[in-house]
Amino acid sequence: MSTIRARSAAGYWLALPAAVWMVGVVVVPIALLIWVSFWGGRAFSTESPLTFDNYARFFANQTYLKLVLSTIVHTATLMALTGVLGYCIAYFLVMKVRRPGWRLALFLAFIIPFWTSTLIRAIAWVPFLGVNGVINQALMFAGATQSPIEAFLYSHTGITMAQVSLYTMLAAGPVVYMLNSIAPQLREAAMTLKAPPFVVFRRIVFPLTLPGVVIGQVLVFLNVMSDFATVATIGGNKHALLSNLVLLFYESSQIRAAAVVAVLLMLCMLAGVVVALRVVDIRRLGA
Amino acid sequence: MIVDALATPPPAGAGAAPGPARPQLDLELRSIRKRYGSFVAVDDVSLRVGKGQFVCLLGPSGCGKTTTLRCIAGLEEPDGGDILIGGKEATKDPPWKRDIAMMFQDFALFPHMTVAKQVGFGLEMLHRPKAEIAQRVQHILTSFEIAALADRKPASLSGGQRQRVALARAMITEPRILLLDEPIGALDYSLRETVMLELKLLQQRTGISFIWVTHDQNEAFSLGDLVVVMNHARIEQQGVPEDILLRPATAFVAGFVQGNNVFRGRTGDVLAETLAIKTAAGTFLAPRERTAPPLPTGSEISFSVRAEQITDRLTDRHVNRLTATCTAVEYFGAVRRHVFERSGGEVLKYDQFGAQAARIAPGQRVTLGWTIDAVVVHRSAGA
Repeated sequence: MSTIRARSAAGYWLALPAAVWMVGVVVVPIALLIWVSFWGGRAFSTESPLTFDNYARFFANQTYLKLVLSTIVHTATLMALTGVLGYCIAYFLVMKVRRPGWRLALFLAFIIPFWTSTLIRAIAWVPFLGVNGVINQALMFAGATQSPIEAFLYSHTGITMAQVSLYTMLAAGPVVYMLNSIAPQLREAAMTLKAPPFVVFRRIVFPLTLPGVVIGQVLVFLNVMSDFATVATIGGNKHALLSNLVLLFYESSQIRAAAVVAVLLMLCMLAGVVVALRVVDIRRLGA
Repeated sequence: MIVDALATPPPAGAGAAPGPARPQLDLELRSIRKRYGSFVAVDDVSLRVGKGQFVCLLGPSGCGKTTTLRCIAGLEEPDGGDILIGGKEATKDPPWKRDIAMMFQDFALFPHMTVAKQVGFGLEMLHRPKAEIAQRVQHILTSFEIAALADRKPASLSGGQRQRVALARAMITEPRILLLDEPIGALDYSLRETVMLELKLLQQRTGISFIWVTHDQNEAFSLGDLVVVMNHARIEQQGVPEDILLRPATAFVAGFVQGNNVFRGRTGDVLAETLAIKTAAGTFLAPRERTAPPLPTGSEISFSVRAEQITDRLTDRHVNRLTATCTAVEYFGAVRRHVFERSGGEVLKYDQFGAQAARIAPGQRVTLGWTIDAVVVHRSAGA
């Protein structure tokens, strides 16, 4: 139990360092970003008049709108794939692996790749997916295909494959936690009440792991929306999502346009999190 | 040893089978065995439960009583033996195909369902129409006096309320057998006696067989039509409460049941009606078992004497005598218990009616005695 009372002076002093940090690195930059996105004129100066022109220009462009749509579709695909795969992995780890030694070994096998950075892991996919890559050589060796498949690298499929491998554990982790917290007696009680295994899963296990599923989906959603590195390395120059557009505008010194896309990206993320919170109240977890 | 549970008459309203046909058993266990690695959890357990009986599995923790219950539920598969539910072979059936319901020690309520929803869960699994489910849930909630809680979730219920919800959830499908794993162990002590009585009445009214697992002998003896005492994965003794209280079959049962003084010794001379047993505290006379073959002289043997069968007012009939020093006197109202020190650190308990005046004070040296008939000779250990 905390011995510090709510609204005491000590409480405020203790909150101060974190508050200063958050204001400095999160609140102020976001405010600046929003401000810049409304700058009119041509000069990069704080004197610029505020207009909606930047947004109007963005929404007038069909290519950009299609990019927003494809980003959303791509993210939804990723969420579905990692959600199903992650749930299966979590269920297998918690429910099917009974030996503690095996469980630890498998858990480490899933976790150790996360010790390297996301960028390195994304780049590591290139030699796998290429025309002479590991996957193509394996397929040809197995006789599954005569000529190498070019669709892997620099393609949408390749991006999806890489991102599924990068983010599945984000979807699985919270589910593992929730599955572990379900008392075995609950499933047994349902069975003695004449529920066959699949009904036990549908009516008892899945509803109780739903908060974990939602948290996992939020993590995947936020990561995929903001992941420009994987798209850039695996997709080459042919494919881009909203986050790549920010980079593109920034590199061509179109700061206002970059700010507009960044703000829109943030709004999409915010909307996603709000929807998730409506499904499950994450704040009540652990209660 | 198997005591046929059918020997006791079924409670009124259970509906005796017409004609000479053998009444069907609700449950029969035939030599159930279960082991986990090298640990034997259940060893050669056989049990027959007649229609609408209240059976208590009694024993210390780790004796195999819960594992036996889980085998009956189908939550564990026995390594050997047969389980018959309502006369039908059910050993290989999964839990959801058995005509049973179970109440768990911590009640195992579904945290995400309202009281009404989880009480109706069993009927939903039987694919009953919605209207019938709603009506039967309402009915059982009312009769269990928890109708006001219908829309609450388990987290907001008290221990007693959860117990009622768990019971309603298990009872609503009217199973042949209700399995209860320490069902009142999680309740406040003051609540237990009321709940015990309610459950006993409920069992008699519905005619559902109850298999009640407990380590509390008060529960077992006050509730059970049949009490099964288990130890080290085996059944030590089964019978009606009087049988187990007055005629413990083994030294373990005698020691486990309150109020017994257990003596261990070796057989001595066999007389016409009596058997002499030599113990560290002296030689005592016991009634000779006419049915059992006589043991060779010098065999290990144990016997017990109930604390209330001992007296300090000796007559010629009290041929078994022992002189010891009183170390403590405990007054329980109904009885006054005197604790005496025996050789080898063991104690001797002597209960006097509480209504009588106190005669013995701590520190006093007293000669106590008991009759030959008060001596209950046990089966030899391991037999």
